[in-house]
Amino acid sequence: MIHARNLAKSFRRRRALGGLSFSVPEGSAYALIGPNGAGKSTTIRILMNILEADSGSAEILGVDSRRISPRQLAQIGYVSEYQFFPPGLTVADYLAYLRPFYPTWDRDLETSLVRDLHLPLDRFISELSHGMRMKAALAFALPFRPRLLILDEPLSGLDALVRDEFLARLLEQAGEMTILVSSHELTEIEGLATHVGFIDEGRLLFEESMSDLAARFREVHVTLDREASPPGSAPAEWLNLRTMGNVVMFVDSRFSEDRLRSGIAALPGGVRSVDARPMSLRSIFTALAISTRDAAERRI
Amino acid sequence: MFLCHIANVTPLRFELRPGEPIFDQLVFAAKRAIVGGDFEPGRPFPSVRSLAADLKIHPNTVHKVIQHLIQEKLLEPRPGIGTVVAEPPAARAREQKRLLQKEAEQLVIEARRVGLALPDVLREIETQWVRIEKQWEVIRK
Repeated sequence: MIHARNLAKSFRRRRALGGLSFSVPEGSAYALIGPNGAGKSTTIRILMNILEADSGSAEILGVDSRRISPRQLAQIGYVSEYQFFPPGLTVADYLAYLRPFYPTWDRDLETSLVRDLHLPLDRFISELSHGMRMKAALAFALPFRPRLLILDEPLSGLDALVRDEFLARLLEQAGEMTILVSSHELTEIEGLATHVGFIDEGRLLFEESMSDLAARFREVHVTLDREASPPGSAPAEWLNLRTMGNVVMFVDSRFSEDRLRSGIAALPGGVRSVDARPMSLRSIFTALAISTRDAAERRI
Repeated sequence: MFLCHIANVTPLRFELRPGEPIFDQLVFAAKRAIVGGDFEPGRPFPSVRSLAADLKIHPNTVHKVIQHLIQEKLLEPRPGIGTVVAEPPAARAREQKRLLQKEAEQLVIEARRVGLALPDVLREIETQWVRIEKQWEVIRK
């Protein structure tokens, strides 16, 4: 659905993207996760042909992003916190303005969106609160049943009630489209995502489906029958290895029961118990961030 | 049940807890709701669509959870309806025991951590047992 290859982009002397590649499978909800300034918005603007990359290319709905035509745009919904809306229009005005551009516009769906999101049709878009404006942006992007929906930091700054309304309406249609969503906040996006790509300093650290990630990461505590000391060598897939009292703790990044068992058998001392727990996206991300940082510090 | 559908609110008590994958949390919440009698055997289980909107979880993920529950024989697929809650099986003992071992271990660890003695724990288990049994009786009547 989206394939980006080696995208690079600099603003004056600051490098925003340094060779970013990633792929969004059809039907997925792909969360592009990274800290502020990682290059998420730049990436999305290149995909939407709002910005041009210095080098590299991106394909979106089978077309080079630099050659997106109205035909593709009529199948792409776009919701961004920095979105521009023509001034002097009410919510109703703008809906009326949008309808003719989209052959697939569904009036009943539009009505139900306006109702479920509690949008004030007669208010000027420029006068809406941030939360209301994000809900309006969603109501502008869904009635034509887009094949692809791109959301740039959709949930930042939304209060809990608005966020729930936004997500509920989005998820009702999530099964019929592909979603690319950027966020710096992991937890809020975890339920929405089926795939995740971590980006930092303009590069992709890794991308994977949520179910594969959940299957391959375990937080492991091994309790020994004596005071644990850091083992001389440990499997490379054991991240953030540390010891405390009788316990050896690490994050297994390539979990399988057999591999773990044989790895643990090699530890010095008798094993009293082993606890291997599945991890949330946030703890996986934290573990990877720590291990990347430690590896960088070791190189210095 | 019907009221639930109209209000688009499923009786799955589900609060995202940090530290666990969503899939596992959702499977657990569903099992608790089914075993706890929130859903009667033979009655429809909420659809993927309504669960997704209600729990704020992507429908693909919800779909996987439902497939998992079908595999575990807690739900049954019914053409035209979706899925229905399966009759509580007589023989699923080994699997049940395996499931229980982990839960029991967890309970013992937590109990010891907060300084409870074995009789306290047993009493609490009995209370919960009786409470849930009563819920089941109401359903069967």
